[in-house]
Amino acid sequence: MDNADARDVRETYETIADHFAKTRAHPWPEVETFVERAESAAVGLDVGCGNGRHAAVLAERADRVVALDASRNLLEVARERLGEPGARLVQGDATRLPLRTDSVGLAVYVATLHHLPGRERRIESLNELARVLRADGSALVSAWSTAHDRFDADPDAARGFDTTIDWTLPDGDVVPRFYHIYAPAEFEADLEASELQVESVRVSSGNCYAEVRGQREGESERKHP
Amino acid sequence: MNEDLLDIICCPLDKAELELDVDDRDDGEIVSGTLTCTDCGETFPIEDGIPNLLPPDMREETPA
Repeated sequence: MDNADARDVRETYETIADHFAKTRAHPWPEVETFVERAESAAVGLDVGCGNGRHAAVLAERADRVVALDASRNLLEVARERLGEPGARLVQGDATRLPLRTDSVGLAVYVATLHHLPGRERRIESLNELARVLRADGSALVSAWSTAHDRFDADPDAARGFDTTIDWTLPDGDVVPRFYHIYAPAEFEADLEASELQVESVRVSSGNCYAEVRGQREGESERKHP
Repeated sequence: MNEDLLDIICCPLDKAELELDVDDRDDGEIVSGTLTCTDCGETFPIEDGIPNLLPPDMREETPA
């Protein structure tokens, strides 16, 4: 896999940004519950913020919220939703976060991991989250799962699958999007292979969720997937 | 871009600090400028108030 694949995902969202954002009005209840229970933090982070619906939730618990996405057009939509200077918008790549080590106290990485082609790249992005997240900080990670009704897959399999799911624009144009649909066991294995400290893993509404903490001090030695 | 982001962001490639050059400022917000890595020298544009910190190989121009 080269970086052209990751660029394709970004370009897809550049194309569908406006329409996509309109269909994603409400925050997920799983994210609201996680943030409500979390301790307040100086810096919050939403990786793959999309239209900013979860960055808005983070703002209830964090003094400053960084909303990061690879798509410039989605960030423009997020700016309208969040208002200025409500969030700090950053265009960036989830596998190479432009954020300092131990700078984040509370993070959500929701419905984004499954857009990264290749296991190596997905684990690298989890390692990047571990790097920027303080050891006492917490994060919620989610990805689409084989347990979802729309997939005719065995949720007890060891691995999920790669697929392309089309997005149809109002004018009928169809834009393909890359997904890796996670088997729950595989999601847990990838998190364990990363440098994140895993607190809990579960499946809810067809998505895998994990609550995690940052990398412990002195554990900078990379685990290899 | 709010200037207080500078103590959170870094170079996506080597994680070194970034140096800010402001071209245009509006009411305290940085509208346009350049962020330069103090280690590798890579430059990252701030356009219309949003810093583009994508690694160069992800940056390819796309029609808006």
